[in-house]
Amino acid sequence: MQDIAGVLVNSVISAALYATMAYGLAVIYGVMRIINLAHAGLMMLGAYATLSLFTRFSLDPFLSLLVVAPLFFVFGVILYRLVVHRLPRSGATPSMESLLLLFGVWLVLQNLAYLVWTGDTQSILTAYTMKSVPILGVRVGVPSLFVFAGSVLSLVFLNVVLKATYLGKAIRAVTQNRDASLLAGVDADRISAIAFGLGTAFAGVAGGMLSTLYAFTPDFGRSFLLKAFCIIVLGGMESVTGVAAGALVLALLENGLAVWTTIPTSFQDAVSFTLLFVALVAFPQGLPGLFARFARPRAIR
Amino acid sequence: MKAFSRLAGAALGVFALAAPLFLERGTLNDVWSLALAVILASAWNLLGGFAGQVSLGYSAFLGIGAYATVLLSLRGMNPFLTLPLGAALAAAFSILIGLPAFRLRGPYFTIATIGVGEVVRVCASSVSFTGGSSGLRMPPGSFDFTLNYLSMVALAIAVVTLAAFVKRSAFGQALAAIKQDIDAAEALGIDSTRFKLAAHALSAAVVAVAGGLYAINFQYIAPGSVFDFRLSLSIVLMPIVGGVGTIAGPVLGALVFSTLQLKILSIPALRDSYLFLYGTLLIVVMLFEPKGILGLVRRVFNRRLRRFYAEA
Repeated sequence: MQDIAGVLVNSVISAALYATMAYGLAVIYGVMRIINLAHAGLMMLGAYATLSLFTRFSLDPFLSLLVVAPLFFVFGVILYRLVVHRLPRSGATPSMESLLLLFGVWLVLQNLAYLVWTGDTQSILTAYTMKSVPILGVRVGVPSLFVFAGSVLSLVFLNVVLKATYLGKAIRAVTQNRDASLLAGVDADRISAIAFGLGTAFAGVAGGMLSTLYAFTPDFGRSFLLKAFCIIVLGGMESVTGVAAGALVLALLENGLAVWTTIPTSFQDAVSFTLLFVALVAFPQGLPGLFARFARPRAIR
Repeated sequence: MKAFSRLAGAALGVFALAAPLFLERGTLNDVWSLALAVILASAWNLLGGFAGQVSLGYSAFLGIGAYATVLLSLRGMNPFLTLPLGAALAAAFSILIGLPAFRLRGPYFTIATIGVGEVVRVCASSVSFTGGSSGLRMPPGSFDFTLNYLSMVALAIAVVTLAAFVKRSAFGQALAAIKQDIDAAEALGIDSTRFKLAAHALSAAVVAVAGGLYAINFQYIAPGSVFDFRLSLSIVLMPIVGGVGTIAGPVLGALVFSTLQLKILSIPALRDSYLFLYGTLLIVVMLFEPKGILGLVRRVFNRRLRRFYAEA
């Protein structure tokens, strides 16, 4: 019983964080059909930005997210205008050029970080880092709770933006059909820039929150990038609820395996990659596609 | 142009083979690294360049080759006899991961290969028979640098020649068709999965042999060195910067990269961040000249030629 509660609580908390990481990728993918490999570098940069704010201005890591998010939004828009914008536009599937280009951006970011912050392992220690509170009889670290709250807030924010504003409508329109949205008078290029900024901001926020849970180096972020991929593949690249479901599946699997099997924790990362592999191969349409396939009457196929 | 690059390649090969007669050990080490780079870049190019399947997991094959050599040598085998076994193992592994992965197209395949590389590294550093993350040492007394050097250079020459043959063969044509339009290729009766698997296995085997020679030369391997993600990166970047899908491109890329690496690694402040330059190069190449340095050279050369004829 205790085990089940523990796995559930921990899974829900990690799932919220994973979903935040994955949304950044999903928004960019949806609007531009680009797989943002630089996401890992941006998360790493988010972690270092939070660290800098913490050491320079002794700003609480979670408060600093309020600074990091707009900062990264602007950075993302600049990155789009400077680099991504110049690419030939991807068709229905992402182009190899965009993937490799953003891969280059990731390398540049990573190695700038090596130059600025050296390769030493960094971590953020606050007064509450070691504190924990009981939830459903499970002791949960205070930073994890804050991370959960931060993730839920940013996801709610994104959902409100997407559902209730003109901007959100435009983003969804471009995601559904770029050409049709152009006909309807949406400035798709501007929307792309904003979407890239949003995705970057989400990466920064996710990185900032990760920095309160894990130690990091400039190499930080790769395994989380793969997790994010795994989630958007599981959740289907364009569906919002799908991403949340994918995050939960991955988190449950990771936590469950850690508690109920003897697989050593060093293999935990391998779980998400294996899941990614299986997911990509077995149901490229993601979980929604899988359900749709079962729901559809057989005669049509 | 073609005759010139062939001549230059042959001269480079002959020079490298004869080098132990007149060069010092330090310089030979640099040429050894260059040969390794040429092998890795050209082998990757067989799949990534000819067939357009960009894989970011090639360190896995280098690592498998290296580990096969060390583990078998520790059991008393002659290190050089372990090389074909490592190659066979890597080829088998490449087919094992290729079977599911080649169902994915373009960028999805690329992402899956990042995962494969990571899983292999994680496994190698957590399983006990590989010595875990502290790695393995070759048995003492199994080292002859000149022999190793000559094998590496010979392998490099062989791989470039092989690439030239593959490119002209029916096999190469099929790969080119897959790269251009996989659906059209399939409609023409090309079994794309089979051809991709074959190219994958061929390049994996070559990389594994290089990995074995790597292990023999350094006498010590660890997951952090042979399964390093940065290694996978360099393997991809060399042919792309040099000129993807060509014969001379990967060689050119390897030349540029090993020279840069030597220059950069001698500056301590930049040792951790040499990939910065590579990243910038990659961005510049992707934005301005997707055909790489070779494409640039060709463009300049053709313009000259045209001007020459216009004046004549």
